[in-house]
Amino acid sequence: MSGRPDHHARTARSAGPPVAGSAAAFLWLAPWLTGFAVFLLAPAAMSAYYAMTDYSLLEPPVWIGAANFAELWHDPLFWKACRNTVYYATVSVTLGAVLSLCVAVLLEMHVRGRGIARAIIFLPTLVPLVAAALAWSLMYNPEAGLMNRALATIGLPKINWLGEARWAMPALIIMGLWNIGTAVVIYSAALRDVPRALYEAAEIDGVSRLGRLWHVSIPCISPAILFNVMISIIWSLQVFGAPQIMTEGGPDHATYVYQLSVYEHAFRYGRMGYASAMAWLQLLATLGIAALTLALSRRFVHHRGAA
Amino acid sequence: MNTRARTPLPGRAALTALLWITAAAYLVPLLVMLTGSVRSADAVLDPDAPILPRIGDAAQAIDNYRAVWTDGTTDFPTYLRNSLLVALLSTIGMTLSSACAAYAFARMRFPGRGPLFVLVLATLMIPSTVIIAPQFVLFKHLGWIGTFRPLWVPAFCGGAFSIFLLRQFFLTIPRELDEAAAIDGCSRAGVFWRIILPVARPALVVVALLQFIGSWNDFVGPLVFINQPHMYTVSLGVYMYQSQHGQTPWNLSMAASVIAVLPVLLVFLLAQKAIIEGVATQGLKE
Amino acid sequence: MPQVSAGSTANRVSRRVALGALGAGALAWAAWPRPSRDRARAPRGRKVLHYWEKWTGVEAVSLQHVIDEFNHSQQRLWVVLVPVSDISSKAMVAIGGGDPPDVCGLFSYSVPLYAEAGAAMPLDEFPRHDWCGQDGYLPNVWKLLTHEGRPWAGVNTCYTLGLYVNRAHAREAGLPESPPRTIAQLDAAADALTRTVARGRIERAGFLPTLPLWWPYSWGVLFDGRLYDRQTGRATADDPGNIRALEWISTFPRRFGREAAGAFAHTFSRSTHSPQDPFISGRASMIVQGPWLANFIARHNPGLDYAVAPVPIADGLPDPDAPRGLVEADVLIIPRGCKDPEASWEFLRFMQRVSTQEQLAIAHCKSSPMGGGETSPKFLANHPSRFVGVFDSVARSPMADSLPPTRIWPQYADMLGGAFEAAWRGDDAAAALRDVQTRAQRLIDESVKMRARRAARGGIP
Repeated sequence: MSGRPDHHARTARSAGPPVAGSAAAFLWLAPWLTGFAVFLLAPAAMSAYYAMTDYSLLEPPVWIGAANFAELWHDPLFWKACRNTVYYATVSVTLGAVLSLCVAVLLEMHVRGRGIARAIIFLPTLVPLVAAALAWSLMYNPEAGLMNRALATIGLPKINWLGEARWAMPALIIMGLWNIGTAVVIYSAALRDVPRALYEAAEIDGVSRLGRLWHVSIPCISPAILFNVMISIIWSLQVFGAPQIMTEGGPDHATYVYQLSVYEHAFRYGRMGYASAMAWLQLLATLGIAALTLALSRRFVHHRGAA
Repeated sequence: MNTRARTPLPGRAALTALLWITAAAYLVPLLVMLTGSVRSADAVLDPDAPILPRIGDAAQAIDNYRAVWTDGTTDFPTYLRNSLLVALLSTIGMTLSSACAAYAFARMRFPGRGPLFVLVLATLMIPSTVIIAPQFVLFKHLGWIGTFRPLWVPAFCGGAFSIFLLRQFFLTIPRELDEAAAIDGCSRAGVFWRIILPVARPALVVVALLQFIGSWNDFVGPLVFINQPHMYTVSLGVYMYQSQHGQTPWNLSMAASVIAVLPVLLVFLLAQKAIIEGVATQGLKE
Repeated sequence: MPQVSAGSTANRVSRRVALGALGAGALAWAAWPRPSRDRARAPRGRKVLHYWEKWTGVEAVSLQHVIDEFNHSQQRLWVVLVPVSDISSKAMVAIGGGDPPDVCGLFSYSVPLYAEAGAAMPLDEFPRHDWCGQDGYLPNVWKLLTHEGRPWAGVNTCYTLGLYVNRAHAREAGLPESPPRTIAQLDAAADALTRTVARGRIERAGFLPTLPLWWPYSWGVLFDGRLYDRQTGRATADDPGNIRALEWISTFPRRFGREAAGAFAHTFSRSTHSPQDPFISGRASMIVQGPWLANFIARHNPGLDYAVAPVPIADGLPDPDAPRGLVEADVLIIPRGCKDPEASWEFLRFMQRVSTQEQLAIAHCKSSPMGGGETSPKFLANHPSRFVGVFDSVARSPMADSLPPTRIWPQYADMLGGAFEAAWRGDDAAAALRDVQTRAQRLIDESVKMRARRAARGGIP
């Protein structure tokens, strides 16, 4: 992490010439402020109102108080969607964090051509979701898909990846692991910024290579880990595209995730009110989990320069 | 950097091999896409067909791509143009407006600057899909459903990550440059336009590239806001190849997918370093 | 920060130039005015109608023939076929956003929802002209087109399921020439035809209800179970017939091994109909499938010796000669807010001609939804499946059932799918169905309450 921006920020605060007035600054910020108010605050506020109504999009909303929330409480599919989303998020965030760290460590081994390897691993994050989902659907095809052909080669029975309730979610999680490129790149950059002196000191103390990874690298890059984990939690809680394209929530609701349910109610069943209630709960849950992660991280994340 | 000497280790070869096996595995889905796109519909579902494309597939490949390109019921040339239009417009908007906001955060003092910047970063935490249903209602009231506006106008209001990245870069530009220009009679806008933007070009390129790719790959936005076929983006067009009824023409949907991937692939090949370094900065926040 | 990396400056500049040129070229190409293809193709002076349909591939091609015929039959309108996937929600989004297509093809289960949400226009508001109305359709199909006494949709082919039997396998196993008629006969044949190898692994399935399982909710009707009571407007998921059906389902994992049966069924995907299809490839001797399978048999394994019969029914039911089954249809609606409802109606009427529907039925290999009297011999003679009469007899049968006319049917169907899975796992079928009954009825009550609230506000009735 370079110290330069901070240094300059400090000079900007202390030594910068006084500006002509804050009105000018707000003029420069006007696009962002407008967008924040119009495309974020206004919809969020509207959504809070719709959550208390019965609204079909085609007719004006009818106020029904907390009835949507009461219905949610009694809706087993709502709970199923919550469970599925937590399942997806927990497994994919954990596996994704471990895998991307491992790959980043491998990449920082300075082998020949690692730039190419890094580009290849990053490449999937650029593939349009629809194209990726279709390619993976073909890979998961029970008859001719590459996954089952690979299983057959090593003598394992075929799996109907997307057609069987217990395999569909793992299939989506595996596909999600294909998209760790962003995290890998961030970890790589963080690993490169670990001061060499720390490694050397550890080496002198006779710490093994693995020990250095555990006791030096990991603590040093913990801010990056925190960032990646936060972002991937947020993203995995709103996973939508892959299940929508590949399984439509099936089979037997095994991949019926929260966002799919919101989308269905808003746009398929014409129940914008119910969907808004769900969206609000999701927003609160996401913010809550993010706050919790931040609070927990205080104990584990190592901040250099905090001293 | 990257010059740390490392002693050779036992097992290092194994780790190198592991890295390359991982990289190869990451190419497989793209390979499946490519192979599928050059096969006949039946051969795609033949469990004994070879995994890699062969020279003999060329004729079928031409047939498939021509079928996708000239198909009577879909219109990929138009989808590509729509995607380009939306992606380029939102790229311009995102870069300009984020630069303005970042300039304010980097160079001006005003009450509430700190909290406001935290607010910008906090919007990173808000799941974009949470807001899409009420946004739909908003756009409906604005009369924007059935236009491209929902896809590009919000980009003209800037984005949290772009503002963050540009602000960090602007802070590294020596203030002496601004001051010298100001002494020469340059206005604030003049400093921004003549000094900051040219110096910050690498960062602007990164913001532009990431926005282009993000906009090109957007699925949920077009899915919800675009209805008429002549306005489909490429993502939506490929999605429509998915059949609900009857057979999925796998070879054609793979060919369509390849068409959707190619432009981003091209951009990536030309600007790989900038993109990867731009992404790497995401993790460097305080 | 993006570090300006070391490396030749010339290289960097040329890349930047290439990127810039690429961007400029792309922008120029994208912004160059050019009408989209479907507009360019429409003759001058015609009003273009966008017709959304979920079909692709062969089914879309034959539909295009029909549309071409319409486009050439008059001078005023020009219909453009648009394939749309996930159409039930995409159309709702478009109509809700005030940007609808002019005609939209849906599945029959969407009719109650679209009618109640005010997303479709009732057809009885249009001048009738040459439209056949109720008398032109099979009664089971007409039920699917109407909601609470009003017609909301035209039909666009219908289908039922039948039992396909591999006759070569049957002969080999010494079974009678004619396909099983009752559940007991089906069970006996399934036992005789199933071949297992070491450790119970199934090599060839006699009959497995999970293969390919189009409609997990359709087994009850074979035991005269009903899903919905049209008189009282209540769900009847725990009807004794439905419970018996799921109890019958639960015998299969017990007889053939849950793991083995699951492993076998799960190696096939439902709708690809490739040469690897379990029935086409001869790995399943009996299968419940739609009429379209005949087309794929002819394509992939023309030598297959098979017969089709109505799906067997439980022993001891009244009127055992009347076939049972569920009838489903694809439908056409006129979306609310479309730009010229009269024009849409003209096209929809064209699609409701007996000749048009028979033409589509032949191309899609389905039975005809139109029923002004007997099925025409010419239709049966031209049909690609010589067993189409079987499906026709089910669609015409007074004992056949059609989908429950409630907007919550898609959710109800999902629940019934869950109950099927529960029975397959060996859980108590009756308990699972009672649970479905409670949940489905709660949804129905909610939707009734919702409509009452809207009606009180003077909304759409």
